[in-house]
Amino acid sequence: MNRRHLLTGLGAALALPAIPRAGAQTLTRATLRLKWLTQTQFAGFYVAVQKGYYREAGIDLTINPGGPNLLTENLVASGADTFGLSGGTDSVFAARERSLPIVCTGVMHQQTPFVFVARADGPIRTLADFRGKTITTWFTGANFVLLGMLAEAGLRPTDFTMQPQQVSVTPFVDGQIDVVTATRYNEFYTLMTRMGRDKLRVFVPDDHGITFPRDTVIVSEQTARDKPDMVKGFMQASIRGWRDALRDQKLGVDTVMAVAPTLARPHQEFMLEEAGKLMVAGPAATNGLFWVDMPTIQKAHDFFLRNGVIKAPLDLAAAYKPDVLAGIPLADRMA
Amino acid sequence: MKASLRLAGGLLLAGLIWEGAVVVFGIRQSTLPRLTEVLAAIAATPGAYWSGFLRTAIETLIGFAAGTVVGVANGLIFFRAPILRDMLLPIFVVSQTIPVIAFGALVVMWFGNTLMAKAVIAFYLTFFPVTVNTLLGLHSVDPRQVALLRSFGATGRQILFRLQLPMALPQIFVALRLGASLSLVGAIVGEWFGDTTGIGVLLLQAMYNENVIAVWAAILCAAVLGTGFYALVALAERRIVFWGAEQ
Repeated sequence: MNRRHLLTGLGAALALPAIPRAGAQTLTRATLRLKWLTQTQFAGFYVAVQKGYYREAGIDLTINPGGPNLLTENLVASGADTFGLSGGTDSVFAARERSLPIVCTGVMHQQTPFVFVARADGPIRTLADFRGKTITTWFTGANFVLLGMLAEAGLRPTDFTMQPQQVSVTPFVDGQIDVVTATRYNEFYTLMTRMGRDKLRVFVPDDHGITFPRDTVIVSEQTARDKPDMVKGFMQASIRGWRDALRDQKLGVDTVMAVAPTLARPHQEFMLEEAGKLMVAGPAATNGLFWVDMPTIQKAHDFFLRNGVIKAPLDLAAAYKPDVLAGIPLADRMA
Repeated sequence: MKASLRLAGGLLLAGLIWEGAVVVFGIRQSTLPRLTEVLAAIAATPGAYWSGFLRTAIETLIGFAAGTVVGVANGLIFFRAPILRDMLLPIFVVSQTIPVIAFGALVVMWFGNTLMAKAVIAFYLTFFPVTVNTLLGLHSVDPRQVALLRSFGATGRQILFRLQLPMALPQIFVALRLGASLSLVGAIVGEWFGDTTGIGVLLLQAMYNENVIAVWAAILCAAVLGTGFYALVALAERRIVFWGAEQ
């Protein structure tokens, strides 16, 4: 390479970084902390990043996966992450009770995303049959849903054995326990593939009057107060990404698989389909994606209060902000 | 050459036993998949495994290097200033009794999802054994040898670099070999706190998706990385401490 080429190269190298910088000035850097590892449960966010929807909204978004040892509420409250997709109404309640300054601006899953599963050929046919049986569930809220369901069936907590559920559903598959908890989009797939759908009897919390919206979008109170346009832009871009991912599920799966290529495609396809059903169910059918349905949340709150999960009533109007979505035209929110 | 042939033979044999045992005893895939299935999983998405391998290797190396430098420096400082040793070493000991997993969430808050966050955890696990062994090695130098060099008019610096540090090297390398495995553990644990690339991420994804083949694929990658790194440190030891490597 002669000197002139070298100089031109140098000049180009100096000039090039200046070009994105000029554009980047209008972009605000932000992060989204997911509630779990990269999978199609979060496909819409990845699609929105890939298609540049966040950039169009003025946000340079980085998606940070969650994990078994992370609490999204803490990371958002501490400012380590801007946005968070957190556990659900339950974890928002818990965070608010601990005075963490976070607010919820969107709810992804409008119906309870988990079900309780027993063997179809086993002795459990109704909730009353749970008496004397061994159940595993997540002690992060699902346990109270089950306690509530069983209380209505006339069972007291001493009538059955409830254990914390570990990573694997293998103990249930191997017959060591009688009832297992499964999210519709994840563990249920594993159960189906290992045992067959017809071998499973499913108890749905919503059938028993307990709806427990989960997968909540959260921001810190400070962000909500100081940067309302960014929060609105984030919700808008996320909805656009999700609309694309739900309409073209192959695109959704492809986008996620590009980020995490070792995932099993059939499982991811199933997950996106099931997660999508939860997202358009209930009040979302008329109010659009991410709708924050205050009556449902109030009911979940009262249920938790009644069962002593939260000690004192919470100021739900301060914790949940449906007005961010209300500021976006309904037609743009529909799936 | 002969030794490496034998090693290759041993690996091949172990692989055959793995493959054969699964087939012969009809072991369920969810308990132990066949080696060929695991290798096929890696071959199906080689890019993901390669980038994970590289990322974890870099985190491990940075943490290990920083741990070595800081550990040797600590050892020297404590050797020269016993007051500092008495003040600080107990604190170091306390810091090492805290399970590293307890720091994970904090490190994510401080450093985010950066490469540094993982390197810091790898560093945290490495620096302490190096500190202790450097100190131990320096103390093991025969005072008569120091006196002899001094009688020849050697300066403190000359004694340090010509006698004390070389004599401490065998001890330091014991810590470095330990550090080689520990820093890998640190990097992988660090990756469990929400990252996108790395062997730890692959392991976590596989574990929670109950994808046993992918779990084994990640374990295999970690084993290759861990063994390779350990071998490099041992090789360096054999070259540098040519007079007394203990193997």
